[in-house]
Order: sequence, then C-alpha cells, then structure tokens
Amino acid sequence: MNPLFDKAFEYAGKNSKWFEIRYMERETTRAMYRNGQFDGIDNNRESGIAVRLLNDSISSAYFDTTDWDAAKTIIDVAVRKSKFPGKNQIGIGREDRASWKIAQRKGIRDFPLEEKLQILKDMDRIMESEGAPMRINELLDKQMKGQYANSSGSNVSWESGRIQYFYMFGVGTGEEFEQSTGQFGASMGYEYLDEIDLPEIVRNEISVLKKASQAKRPEPGTYDFVIGPEVSGIVAHESCGHPTEYDRIIGREGALAGESFLTGKEFPYRIGSEAVSIIDDPTYPGSYGYYQYDDEGVRARKRYLYRNGMTSEFLHNRESAAILGVDPNGGGRSSSWDMEPLPRMSTTYIEPGNFEVDELFEGIQRGIYMKSFTEWNIDDVRFNEKYVGKEAYLIENGKVTDVLRRPVIETNTINFYSSVDAVANDLQFHAATCGKGDPEQGCDVWLGGPHVRLRGIRIA
Amino acid sequence: MSIADDIFDRLQKFGLDSIAVSNVKEDSSQVRFSGNSKDIHNHWVEDSTSVFVARGKKTASTIVKDYGILDSSIDQLMFLLDHTPDNESFMGINPEKQDYSSINGARKNDVDIQELASIMIDSATGKGADRSAGLIYNNFAEVTTVTTHNRVQYSTGGTEFLIRAFKGDMTGQEATHTGSGGSDMDSIARSLGEQAAETAMMLDHRKEGKQGKFRILMSPYLIGNIVSYASAYFSYYSVESGFSCFAESMGKKVGNDKLTILDDPSDASGSGFRPVDDEGTVTFSKNLVENGILRSYLHSYSTASRNNTRTTGNAGIIAPMPFQMKMAGGDSSEQEMLASLKEGLYIRNAWYTRFQDDRNGVFSTVPRDGVFYVQDGEIKEAWGGIRISDSIPSVLANIDLISKETWNVKWWEEIFPSTMPYVTVNEVNVSRAF
Repeated sequence: MNPLFDKAFEYAGKNSKWFEIRYMERETTRAMYRNGQFDGIDNNRESGIAVRLLNDSISSAYFDTTDWDAAKTIIDVAVRKSKFPGKNQIGIGREDRASWKIAQRKGIRDFPLEEKLQILKDMDRIMESEGAPMRINELLDKQMKGQYANSSGSNVSWESGRIQYFYMFGVGTGEEFEQSTGQFGASMGYEYLDEIDLPEIVRNEISVLKKASQAKRPEPGTYDFVIGPEVSGIVAHESCGHPTEYDRIIGREGALAGESFLTGKEFPYRIGSEAVSIIDDPTYPGSYGYYQYDDEGVRARKRYLYRNGMTSEFLHNRESAAILGVDPNGGGRSSSWDMEPLPRMSTTYIEPGNFEVDELFEGIQRGIYMKSFTEWNIDDVRFNEKYVGKEAYLIENGKVTDVLRRPVIETNTINFYSSVDAVANDLQFHAATCGKGDPEQGCDVWLGGPHVRLRGIRIA
Repeated sequence: MSIADDIFDRLQKFGLDSIAVSNVKEDSSQVRFSGNSKDIHNHWVEDSTSVFVARGKKTASTIVKDYGILDSSIDQLMFLLDHTPDNESFMGINPEKQDYSSINGARKNDVDIQELASIMIDSATGKGADRSAGLIYNNFAEVTTVTTHNRVQYSTGGTEFLIRAFKGDMTGQEATHTGSGGSDMDSIARSLGEQAAETAMMLDHRKEGKQGKFRILMSPYLIGNIVSYASAYFSYYSVESGFSCFAESMGKKVGNDKLTILDDPSDASGSGFRPVDDEGTVTFSKNLVENGILRSYLHSYSTASRNNTRTTGNAGIIAPMPFQMKMAGGDSSEQEMLASLKEGLYIRNAWYTRFQDDRNGVFSTVPRDGVFYVQDGEIKEAWGGIRISDSIPSVLANIDLISKETWNVKWWEEIFPSTMPYVTVNEVNVSRAF
C-alpha cells in the first residue's frame, strides 16, 4: 500500500477529534469499436489518499503526491479548515477490522487483449448484419484495491474488479429512427461475459426496434401495465433508492440532485400497495456495485428501504447516520479516492413476489407491456417521474399482441407504487452508473426487479 | 524539467509519429453548505498527465497519476499501441506551429470561500428564505502541454457559485462562474443569495401544472441546460457516429434567424476558459450556428481532416468537445419578454434532461426553481409536476425574442460553463404527470 498511509494516519491523529484515512488505487482499460472500426484504447492508472478530519466542522483533503512534506502541508490546511464553524457529527458505529477480496476466474489482468478486441469486433459485425448502421461498442475493466483506517479503530483492506460492456446502436432514418443503449456489468473477472448472451440480446433488440420504428403509438387513455425487470429496476432506483438516501432527506444535496419527497414526513410513511418491498443489498454476489465494507469502513448488509408499501430503513453514510442518531449502515460510497463518501445505492431491487410472469397478463383486457425503457427522468424530490418504453407491446384479452412505439408512463411515486397489484418471481438485474454529488460521482450499481403489474395508469 | 517534458522525452525512443502529453497540476477548494450551515470543506491537490501516442494509424492513450509506476505505465501504453488494430479514422495531430504569445497566465482568485458561502447563506435568509443549500469552488490549475509539434505552459483559474433557496415548497436557484481575476466576489455572492430567495418567495405555493403547447420565457439557466445537453451534437464525432440531430445540416437552417450559438474557450472571463486544446491548438471563438444557419461542427485536427476543413481547436483528439458555449444576445429586455407572454410560462431552471432519440434530438427535461404560469405578462401561479417534452430542432426553430444582456451560467453537470441570454420559445410541448 501507499507509503504515506501510515504517516498520514499518525499525523492526522495529532490534530483532530476524529479522523479517517482512505487509500485507493485503480487501473482501468477501455477499448471501443465504432461503426465497423476500432476506435481506440486507453489504460489509466491512479492512486491517492483522502484524509477526513473532524473538529469544529468536517474537512477533507485529497492528494496524490508521494512527497511527505507536501502531504503534511495539505493535511495542515485541512486541519485549519476543520476549525471553521460547521456541521460536526460523524457516526462511529462498531469498530471493524477486516479484509475482503473478489475472486476472478478469468482474471482482469490476465485476460488477453486479443480476446477483448475480438468480442468488440464480433458485436459490431452482428449489429451491422442485423441492420444497425450506427453502432458503438465499448468494453471496460477496472482493477481496484484500497485501505481504510480511522481513529475509532476500524481498519479494512480490500481488492475488487469490475467488467462493463456498453453498446449503443440506431436503426432506421428520419422520423422512423430508433436507438438503444445497453449497459452490462458485474464485480468479477471476464467470466462475466460467459454468463450473458450479448449477441442474442442485441439480435432481439434490433429486431424489435425495427418493428417499433414502424409501429403505432398507443392511444391516450387508461391502461393496465406490465413492466419488465429493466423498468422495475429503474423505478426502484429512482423513486425508492434516491429518496431514501438520508442526506437528501435532510437537504445536503438540495442544490444539486435535490431533496426527497420524504423530507418532513413521519416514518414509517406509506408509499404504495402492500405488494411493494424494495431492497438495497451491497453484498449481492457478483453485483456491479458489490462491496463487503463501504468506503467508510462500515460493514455492508441488506436493507429494506420500502417494506410492504411503507418506508423502512434509509441509506446512510457516517455523517447522515449521526444526524438521525442511528448507526451507519454501510451506504457510504465514493466513486474514487478523491471524492467524499455519500449515502449511495449498490444493488437496489423490487423484491420478487409469488406470481408467475404469465399470470400477470391474465385478466388484462386492454393493457401495455413495457419490457424495457429508453428516455427517463424524475424530479428533484423523486416524485414526478417519466419512463418511455423501448420494447413495448399491446396487451389484449390477456395476450401480448402488437408492438407499440414509445409508450410513456408519466406519473408520480405514490401513484406508481399504489397501482401495483402483482409482483412476479423472476428477479433480474441490469447495470447502471448512478450520478450524485459535486464533483459528480458515477457509482457502479445494479438495478433490479421482476415483472410487475400496475392497474389503471393514465397516459396522455 | 517538467513532468510533461520528461514523459515526452521518454516516449521519443519508441518511434512514434504523434505524441501529445498534457500535465495538469490542480489546486482546488470547495465549501458545501445546506440547512444554512456548512457541511464540508474539500481541498484537492492533484497532479495528472494525459498521454496520447500514435504510430501510423495506431493510437493509444493513458492518464498517469502515479509517477512511481511511470515506466510500467509507458510499457503498458506501448503494448496496447503494438497490439491493437489500426484506428482508420485517425488522421494525425495538428502539425501547425502554434503562436501562444497572446495567452495570459491566470492566477488563483484571492477569495475567502468560507466567507463567500456565509454571505450567500445570510443573503438568502435575510430576504426571507427558510433555508438554503449550495457550494463555492475556487479552482486553479497549471497546465503544460507538449506535442510532437508544439509546447505551451499556461494556467487557468476560476470561481463558481451555487445557491438554492427554499421557502415552503417553493425554490429559487442561482449559479454563476468567473474566470481568473474575477472581482467584487462579495457582491456576486450577496446578489445570488438574494435573487435565489426572491424567486423562492415570488408566490407562496405551487399548483399542479397543465399540459399543452406554451410560449415559454426561458431563463439563461433553462436555455443553458438545453444548449449544454445539445452541445455534444455539434461535435463531428457525434455527427459521424450518426447520433446527432445536426447531421446533414451544414449550411442549412437549424434555428430562428436571430439565433447565433458559438463556442468560445478563449474567453478568460468564464471558468470554461481553455486557451489550448488537447493537441496544442490555440482555441478561438467560432460561430456554430449563425443567424439560424449551421456554420461549423466542433473539430480536432483529425476529424477536420476527414471532413476537409480546419480544426476548430476543440480536441479531444479522437472525439472533439465543446468548451464554453455562448448564445449571442438579441435586442429585447427581460421585462419586454415577460410582457410578451399573453398566456405562457416563465421557467427559471430544469434538470435531468434525457434523450430518447439523438438523431432527431427528442428529449424531455424537468423544470424546477421557478416555474410560473403567466397571463398578460403577469405572473399568476407557480406550477409543479410538468416537464418540457420536445426536441432540440423544434426549440431552436421556435426561439423568438432574445435578451440583450447575457449571463455567465454554470450549474453542476447540468449546465456547462456558458454565457446565455433569456429567450422566448413558441409552441413548446409541455407534458404532465398523472
């Protein structure tokens, strides 16, 4: 590990009521094909130290120098700033000493470059042969390790690796243009790409989008909906995960991503039907945002954010937990060594129910099956949200019939979850990069859920 | 010898045709606040070097931050260069000798960001806001860029302000940026705090908005958000990839006759000041849309060569990018523009702009921080629950009035450092949640 880690630990301890030192190193390699051509490769390596100090307020310094005198000066400045007035609560929780590592069967560092490039080339060719003239394929891997220690006695070291595949393609021209993006990721080695059938996924998507480009948009009216796992996953992330980040509830993100519709509510608060339970679990095996201890050295665990239609637990870092007066619960994540840990999601999913997927369609006279989504957004309190269907179909008399073009759910969080009357048992996950904080931090996450049925959704 | 020169010299022995090395030494401070008190003081001292190399059509790049493993980083870079296919679209880096004599070195703004944050907070509460949240950055960077053809050292600096004020369910937000040498920072902080509070207190509560087609008075923040998101469409990389609504539009009408959009990285009064691009080309102001006609894409030397034109000084060597977008001012006043709304909306800000169709620029964005229904030029109601669901071509074509005055706006990842006027836009599609 970094030779300054122990020195910084000792030095920071002389001048603060509480402190922590966080070290991280990361190597990423990214290669890309675009419209039939290799489009470049980059390999980036970085490492650095973050020092967070508590005195009259909280102060953090981030440095990548290996010069100890320079590092001391930077820590001195942080100490001086920590004596300015400000918020000064940090949740201590339990002391942990641990080490964790993710196993890789096809190690990121050992996986042949030629194979990476062949995967990209093959995917580009498949997209072209299936009729997508515009296409981007990108393969990214990350190898990371780090160490965390604080003045309360926690000391955690870790090593992890992640794989991500991203694509974007377009079919059709003019007003009949349709596009798709796909993001797939996991915390493991290159064996991940053996677990997903990217060619089949892309063939299906291109085939459906070609049909969608020619399809009709749904008539305005009120429909029952069945949403696929990709849609239930984004809904869980946007309208449950984000509003239960406790820093948002208390306003710390107020000028950026905003607050929460839960601000000022009495808890537990009803958010929808009893069929709805939503979990965030950093320890879900293989998940893209997997960790055993968060970036504040707190042990991670599964948390129910909504349970049977009511709020349950919130996502906390040490700072927000202290303000609520609870123990930190392993939600403190930073996307890099030079970013502050904030309450973040990891793998957020709607808990599967007992229905078979086919059962959800039974009894729907006139409905819409939104299997996947394209454009989406939500307001800054995570209440007013929009999901535009990418792969979507009409449901008539319990049967999936015609392809539909870009149906739109534009509703609010309470209406959405209150309209849920059945949840299937087919849990699936999708990768995403969640943005928050300033400087913006993109955190790797999984979004998940099963098929879900909604009753009486009005579309314009 | 600087680290950039050192790395450049080490690379010379590998028989490369093109090398571009850029070292950035950054010293930045931030104060974040919420609930009327300070949350955290952040301080970054970082040193990183981006390296691009090419031999023939082969290209590879790296960012070096750990100089203790510099040799192995260079070895890995050369391995990638030697074991990857040709990048057929690469046409070299700018070989022209550049004249850097007009670049003035920036200095770090001498400001007390703790005090400025306090001024913003107090100004907002002094005007009646319940609470406020926001942040201040003071940034400074020394940059050394060494390429096969050029060498330059320069510095950039700037200060960024953001405050959002809350009163009940009403909010107002203000944010600005200045380059090095910005003055009267106390007044800026005070004015932003007061303005944010005034917007939050313009009416006492929100109503659910209505869907329909509206003439909208867009503040510099709202049009800045839309232009920021659309700015990638001007990159020739996007155009060539097939994901730009400005493809096949060169020389054609893409906006109202009054509309001029430019990229001006050479303007040192903003924090987007960028005197030199990634391949050492001196940047300059260029009109992208001039009187409604698309006149230029954003180019590096390589993309310009493929398009039979000259670089616009916007490298990203592989993918050119916008640096500091501007919309030229018009001939209206903000008051005249508000008065011109017979029945319309006045929207101060928006966020979460997302596209469902890049080829046609179809997007939606969620208004916030001042969404007002206007009748006969008078603000009647504050609205919530709506979004603008339209397209970039339609918004640009329907811009009507443009204010004389322009403002430096920058907010988080939603508005890049830019300079924008107020605009009125006709027939904007507004949807609502049910």
